[in-house]
Amino acid sequence: MSHTIWITLLTIAIGTYLIRLLPYLWMARKLERENTQEGIANMPSWLTILGPTMIAAMFGTSLVPGHPSVTTWFATFVGVMMTYLVWRRTRSMGWPIFSGVAVFGVVVVLLG
Amino acid sequence: MSSITQPLSMTPWKQGIKDAIPLLGGYIPVAISFGLISVQSGFSVLETILISTFIYAGASQFLFVAMVASGAPLWLVIIMTLLINARHVVYGPNLAPYLTKDARWGPLMHGLTDQIFAIAHTRLPQMPSETRISWYTGAATLAWLSWIGGSALGAIAGDELMQRWPLINDVLPFALPALFFVLIVPRCNNLQWTVTIAGAAACAMLLKVFGFPNIAIPAAALCGALAFYALKYTGKQGAHS
Repeated sequence: MSHTIWITLLTIAIGTYLIRLLPYLWMARKLERENTQEGIANMPSWLTILGPTMIAAMFGTSLVPGHPSVTTWFATFVGVMMTYLVWRRTRSMGWPIFSGVAVFGVVVVLLG
Repeated sequence: MSSITQPLSMTPWKQGIKDAIPLLGGYIPVAISFGLISVQSGFSVLETILISTFIYAGASQFLFVAMVASGAPLWLVIIMTLLINARHVVYGPNLAPYLTKDARWGPLMHGLTDQIFAIAHTRLPQMPSETRISWYTGAATLAWLSWIGGSALGAIAGDELMQRWPLINDVLPFALPALFFVLIVPRCNNLQWTVTIAGAAACAMLLKVFGFPNIAIPAAALCGALAFYALKYTGKQGAHS
């Protein structure tokens, strides 16, 4: 890798780190200035809404199978249903995810 | 996303690692693919590992190796890769109210990926404040090391792995939608949030299906937020009339 590509790599690495760090520092200082125990109440409301909608959007993009076909879309649907059913029963993280992946895998193997 | 704090059943470090284990199903296959593509694009194994260690952002890394390999101007490579990561600007501020004052949070922000944000945003409010930094360190470290390890594995033996165990690539990535689903479904406890979440998820899925994967997350999140405010406004109007 040439020197210029190394510099490009480091610039991207530092830029990505700053994109993650600086907005956190800004909000941490804002909350500290306002000196409140209930930090979440002092956050802009649009920001508290964007957090869950970002996670919902990640969920939406991750639903699209790597190799889309009728089988993989069907397996995705069945896997999400299984995840939901086990989550309703356990209200935990591990078992619903494990069950969803297992059922998704079984459908892909049987129908694929 | 309950704000009721509960004591952890194990040390915070171990709990963080345990909570992040589902991420491995999504991280490792993608990291192996990245390692494989990076080597095929002309980068060495060591360079591939360093890219994953320092940039640590999936879509950006794929774009970086593809653009460099195609001979794109390096200033354009920098702009495009940073633009893809711009969505990360909302993660830190969303977590800030739950983070105690501690200088170690600065370097730990390197590990604030999409998936770590999603877990932390749900789990941090549920645990005592003094345990949060250890929990986050455990979860973020596991995710980071699995990404670096997966990239190395892909660079060294990715081709053979994919041929011998194609199911790694076909089945394990479903852990990611299952994880995001478990993290977001508790939020759907009223009509306003249910429509907002479903709208954002559907919008993101459609954008990705129709070939806009890089803008899908921020654009769909904005659509979801607009739906939230639209429902809030129409609810108020209905109450007044």
